[in-house]
Amino acid sequence: MTFDDKILRAKTRRHFFKDAGVGIGRVALASMMADGALSAKDIPPSPMAAKEPHFTPQVKNVIYLFMAGGPSQLEMFDYKPVLQKHDGEVAPDSILDGKRFAFMGTFAENKPRLLATKREFKQYGQSGMWASDLVPEIGSVGDDVAMIRGIQTDNFNHAPAKCFMNTGSIRFGRPSMGSWATYGIGSESADLPGFVVLQSGGRGPRGGAGLWSSGFLPTAYQGVPFRSGGDPILNLSTAPGVTKASQAETLDAIREMNLLQYENDGDPEIMTRVAAYEMAYRMQTSGPDLIDFGQETQETLDMYGAKPGEASYANNCLLARRMIERGVRFVQLYHADWDHHADIGGPLEKVTREIDRPTAALIKDLKQRGLLDDTLVIWGGEFGRTPMAEVREQEAPGKQGRNHHIDAFPMLMTGGKIRRGHQIGGTDDLGFNSVGEKIHVHDIQATILHMLGLDHTKLTYTFQGRPFRLTDVGGRVLHDLFA
Amino acid sequence: MSAKLPRRSLVALIFSISLSAQTAPPDFAKEVQPLLNSCLTCHSSQLATGGLALDSREALLKGGSRGAAVTPGHPEQSLLIEAVKRTGELKMPPGKALDSQQVAVLERWVQAGVPWGETAAAGDAKPWAFRVPQRPEAPNVQRADWAQNPIDRFILAKLEAKDIAPAAEADKDALLRRVTLDLTGLLPTPQQIEAFVADNSPNAFDKVVDRLLASDHYGERWGRHWLDLARYADSDGYSIDGPRPIWKYRDWVVNALNADKPFSEFVIEQIAGDLLPNPTTDQLIATGFNRNTPLNYEGGIDQEQYRIEAVADRVATTGSAFMGLTIGCARCHDHKYDPLKQKEFYQLFAFYNNTVEISTLDDRYKFYEPTLDLRTPKEDAEAKAYWSQVNALSAELVNYIEELQARPRNESEPLHKDEGLLARMTTLRNIMRPVGIGASYRWKKPIVTQSLITRERDGEPRETYIHVGGDFLRHGERVEPGVPAALSSKPVTGSRLDLAKWLVSRDNPLTARVTLNRVWQRYFGKGIVETENDFGAMGNPPTHPELLDWLAVEFMESGWSQKAMHRLIVTSATYRQSSASRPELEEVDPYNSLLARQSRIRLDAEIVRDAALSASGLLAPELGGPGVYPPIPAGAMAATQITRDWPTSTGPDRYRRGLYTVFFRQSPPPSLVLFDAPNAAETCTRRVRSNSPLQALTLLNDQAFLEFAIALGKRTLEDVPADNDRARLDYAFLLALNRVPLAGERDRLSTYLAKERAEYQAQPAMALELVSTLAAGSADPDAQKITLAEAPELAAWTSVGRVLLNLDDFMTRE
Repeated sequence: MTFDDKILRAKTRRHFFKDAGVGIGRVALASMMADGALSAKDIPPSPMAAKEPHFTPQVKNVIYLFMAGGPSQLEMFDYKPVLQKHDGEVAPDSILDGKRFAFMGTFAENKPRLLATKREFKQYGQSGMWASDLVPEIGSVGDDVAMIRGIQTDNFNHAPAKCFMNTGSIRFGRPSMGSWATYGIGSESADLPGFVVLQSGGRGPRGGAGLWSSGFLPTAYQGVPFRSGGDPILNLSTAPGVTKASQAETLDAIREMNLLQYENDGDPEIMTRVAAYEMAYRMQTSGPDLIDFGQETQETLDMYGAKPGEASYANNCLLARRMIERGVRFVQLYHADWDHHADIGGPLEKVTREIDRPTAALIKDLKQRGLLDDTLVIWGGEFGRTPMAEVREQEAPGKQGRNHHIDAFPMLMTGGKIRRGHQIGGTDDLGFNSVGEKIHVHDIQATILHMLGLDHTKLTYTFQGRPFRLTDVGGRVLHDLFA
Repeated sequence: MSAKLPRRSLVALIFSISLSAQTAPPDFAKEVQPLLNSCLTCHSSQLATGGLALDSREALLKGGSRGAAVTPGHPEQSLLIEAVKRTGELKMPPGKALDSQQVAVLERWVQAGVPWGETAAAGDAKPWAFRVPQRPEAPNVQRADWAQNPIDRFILAKLEAKDIAPAAEADKDALLRRVTLDLTGLLPTPQQIEAFVADNSPNAFDKVVDRLLASDHYGERWGRHWLDLARYADSDGYSIDGPRPIWKYRDWVVNALNADKPFSEFVIEQIAGDLLPNPTTDQLIATGFNRNTPLNYEGGIDQEQYRIEAVADRVATTGSAFMGLTIGCARCHDHKYDPLKQKEFYQLFAFYNNTVEISTLDDRYKFYEPTLDLRTPKEDAEAKAYWSQVNALSAELVNYIEELQARPRNESEPLHKDEGLLARMTTLRNIMRPVGIGASYRWKKPIVTQSLITRERDGEPRETYIHVGGDFLRHGERVEPGVPAALSSKPVTGSRLDLAKWLVSRDNPLTARVTLNRVWQRYFGKGIVETENDFGAMGNPPTHPELLDWLAVEFMESGWSQKAMHRLIVTSATYRQSSASRPELEEVDPYNSLLARQSRIRLDAEIVRDAALSASGLLAPELGGPGVYPPIPAGAMAATQITRDWPTSTGPDRYRRGLYTVFFRQSPPPSLVLFDAPNAAETCTRRVRSNSPLQALTLLNDQAFLEFAIALGKRTLEDVPADNDRARLDYAFLLALNRVPLAGERDRLSTYLAKERAEYQAQPAMALELVSTLAAGSADPDAQKITLAEAPELAAWTSVGRVLLNLDDFMTRE
C-alpha cells in the first residue's frame, strides 16, 4: 500500500464511530478523549506519526549542518601541495575548457590565476585527516567522521544550488530532504515538529523558506523554523493578556465542541483536528522546555561555546542535540556567510571561528551520550570554491578571494554505520576536478535516505501526473561509506 | 494512486452481451489500453524492463528477453496471459493481481488477434481526452423530480444503477453558508440568513445565487483560484526576492471575472493580449500572466539560463492550466505515456520564445522590462515635482561648480573641500538616497504604479531549438511554433495569439473539459477527473465522462460564460445535498465518487482569514489596489538573504481580504502557508489540505486572529442587549457558524463563559491587556480605548470568540 492509500483509508475510516456505537454520550466521549483512550487507535494517524521504513535503518535522526554560501574547501580540508607550488600562475586552459562559472565576466577579461592557500595544514589522529588551522577542533574529531571529497553539483548560483542540494532540483517547488524524510517515516516526537530548521550567521540563507518547503507534499511536512531567541516557534506563546487558566479552559472547550461536532458529522477530519490541537498544547509546554539551557551543565555549555538566549550557531548545535533527544526526525542548521569572492582571509577566519568548536562539540557530545549510533550528522555547503583567485579590487583592495566551484567539493558525514576516519572520493592535484568514481549531489541524497531506511527510488509522490522523488532520475547509495 | 478501470456503461454492457460477451473482442481504448497503461511504469519503450515494452503492438509481438509477449489468436500460448493469470514462473503485475474480469479482457483481446488502436464502438483510436467533446443526451432517470437540471440526471443515473438514493438537501442555513463561501469566500450575515430561512418562495435559492454572482466579492473568490494557476506572487523569488510591481494584473483578474468576460477572451488576453490589434491598457495588463515566473538576478548568473527557465515554465503552465497534460515531462525526452514528443514541447516553447526579457549580463538591471507605466495623476504630479526639484538642484550644482572653476583659486583650499559645494551635494544626495533594491525601489524617487507585461521582440525572432536532455546549452534540431499533433486535427503555427486562439477554439479537446473539471473540483472536493492536472494515460479516467463532456460543451456553447456555469452547478440538486457522512455507503462508495452526498471541505488559507474577518465585522470590503501588510508574527520575515520590510498596516488596510496580503515567495505570510496557500513557484491546479498543530497555534495565538476574536466579542456585546447571555451566545454562534447552536453546544459554551468571566473579573489588568490588542491595530487607537471596568466582560466574550474561531466547524465548509 502506498502512503497515499494509507492516508485515504484513514480519512474514510470510521472505526471509532462503528466501534463505539452511534448512541455514545458526549460525556463519555470527552472523558475517553481526556484519559487518552481515544488517542492511539481511533484517531486517524497524524501525518507525522512514525511509519515503517522500507528496510532496517542505520539511524533514526539527522542533523544537517548547512554552510550557506559555499565554504572554501581549499582553506579547510583539501590540502594541495601542487597548488601551493603554482601560486599566481595562469590556470591551464586544459582544466578551464568548457567550464562555466559564476561571474564569468571577471574570468573572461583576465585569465584566472591559481591561488595557493595561506593556511597551515596538518594531519589529525589515526586517520590522518588533513585540516587547516581554521578548523583545528573539527580536525581533532577527524577519527570520528568520514570525509567525502570531490562532490559535484549542477548549478553554480547560490539559490538554485541550495535548492538542488535540498530538493534535488534547481527550481523551487519540490519537497526538501527533511520533508521527504518525514513524509517517509514520520517522526518520533509527539511534542515537537518532525522537521525543524535553525538559522544563524547574520542573514538568512539565499532561497529562504523554499529550502525547507514541503513542495507538493502536504504542508504538515514542511520544515518549521525554530529560533534560539524569543518565541522558538512563531505563535508558540500564548497571546498577551490570555491567562494560563484561560488558555487551558479554551483548549478544553475547543476540544469538547469539536467532539460534539464529530458526533453529528462523523467526519474523521474532525478527530485529526482534535489531535492537532492536543499537540499544539503540548508544544506550548515542550518548546520552552527545549530551549531551557538551564538543564545543561556548565561544562556542556562551555564545550559548545553556547550562551543562553543568543542566536548563535553554538546554541543551535546544542539545540539540535536536545531536539533529537526528544525524537525530532530531521534538524537542519543553516549558517551564513561563506561566500568569499573578494577576500578568502579575514572573513573566512571569522566564520570558521563561529563553527569550528560547536561542530566538533556536537560530534563529541553525541558520541559520549551514545547518540551517534542513531544520528546522522552532515556538514557541508551547496558547492565549493575555485583553486583560482578572484580579484575584486573595489570590494577588498589588495585581497584575493575564490569563485563558486561545482566540480569538487567535500562534505563530512558521521553516524550510524559510517566508517569513522574513512574517506571516499578524491580531487586532482589542483583541487579542480574530482578523480575516481563521480560523486554527485543525488548520490548524497540517496545515501542519506538509505541510512534512514528509505529506498530513494521507492520514496515517490505523484504530482501533476508524474511520480517525483528526491533524487529525480539519478542517485546511487554510497555503500563505500559504510563499515 | 492506481488508475481504476472505467465502469462500463449500461449501454455498452447490453451491447456486449448481445454480441455474446464471452467471445466479442473488447473495446481497445476503454478496456485494454487502461490495463496496458498501468504496466507502462516499467514497460514503456524508454524503460523496457526485461527488454519488454507494452506501448505498441510491434513491441508486444517482439517481446522481451523471454520472447514474444503474445501469440495473436492464442491466449493459451501467450506469455502475457500466463503472467497475469499467475500460473507460471512469471507473475505480473508485481503486487496486486488483476481480477478475473480484467484477465478475461486480455484473453479475449489476444484471442481476437491483438487488435491495436481499434475500438469496437467508435473506431477512434484517440484516448478519450484527445477527442473533441460532443454533447451527450442527459440520461433518463426514475426520480426525474429530484433533478434540478441536466447535471443531476447524469449523477442520479449512476446512483440509481447502484440502488443508492441521493442525500437529503442540506439545511437552509448550512446551504446558505456553503454557497456564500463557495461563491464569495465570505460568510452570510445574520440578516441574510434570516431572510433566506424565511423566504419560502420556490426560487428563494436562485435569488441568493443571483445576488452572490452579482457581488464583487465573487471576483475575489474565483480570482484567487485563478491566481493559483497563474502562480501569482508579489516578489521575484530565487535569491534576492525583490518586491515586484504586478498587483494590477491581480486586479485585472478580479475585474474580468466580475464582468463575466467570456473565458475565451480571458485566456487570449492573458497569453497574447499584446498581440491583439491596438491592445487596450487592460489587455496589456492581462499579459502579466506570462510574467508571473520567478526571476533570478543574483550576482554571477547566466541570465539566458533563467530566461529559458521562465519560458519552459510558461509552456508547462500552459500544459497544466489549459490542457491538463504533463507537458513539462517532454522537456528532456519524449513523454513516456502520452503522445507528446520532446520536439512538440519545443514547438510550444517557440510560441513563447520571442518575448522581451533580459538574457545578457548587460541587461541585468532591466529585469522588470517590459512594464506598463500606470501612474495616477497624483503619482505623476509627485514624480514631476520630485524630478523638477532634482533637476533644479542639479542645475544649481553645475552652475556653482562652473562659478567655482571660474574663480581664482587658493591652492590650500581645493575645490572638493568648498563648503558651498559640499552642502549642495549633500542636499541632492539626501533626496536621491538609495532605498531597497530592484528597479523602482532602487532610489528614493516617488513610486509610480507600473505593471509587468509581455511584449514581442522587434526584428528577427529568436530561433528555437530542441534542448538535448533539457540542457539549454545543447542545441538539437531547430523547430518552428506548433501544437502537439495528437491534439489538433490541423496544424497550428504562428504567434502566441494563434496559440491562445487555438486553446479556446471549439476544436480544442481539452481546455473546456479541464476548466470545468477544475470548477467542479472546487465545489465537490475533487474533480470528475480526479487527477485534475493529468488527463493523459496515467491520469484517472473520469467518474462521469458524459457529464464532463456535457459541461464542456455547455460552457463553450454558452459563450464561455463562467457565471452561467457556476449558476448551473450550485443550483443543481447534487450540489445542494447534505454533507453528513453516510456510513451505509462506506463499502460501496468509500471515496464518495458517485456523489451521494456533499463533502466537508476545509476552507482555503485566505478564506480562513476572510471568514474570520466577516464574522468579526472587521472586514474592509474595498476591492483591489496595492498589496497590504496585516500583522504577522515577529521574525517571520527573517528567513531570507535580505530581510524584507513589513510595514504593518493600520486602519482598514489591516483588515483586507487574504488575497491582498503581500506575498513574498521566499518569506511568505506564515498563516497563509500553514493553511496550504501555494508557494507560487509553479502553477498550482489543486491545493493540498493539511491539518497541523501549527495551524492550531496560529488560530489560537496569532495577533491577527486575536484581534478578530476581540472584535467578535465586542460586536456581540454591542448588537445584543445586556444581561442576556443566551441571546448573546446564540448571536456570536450565528456570526461565526451561521447557525443556531445545539443544546449541548450552548450548554458547553455557557459553562465556559462563566469560567472566563470569573477568571478575568479576578484579573482585570490581564483582561485589559488582552482586549487592548485591538486598539493597537487601529488608525485611531484613542477612539478604541477600553476602561479597566469594561475589560473583564469584553475579555470573557473575546474568549468565546476565540473558541468559535478555532472550531473545526468554523474553518470547514459543510
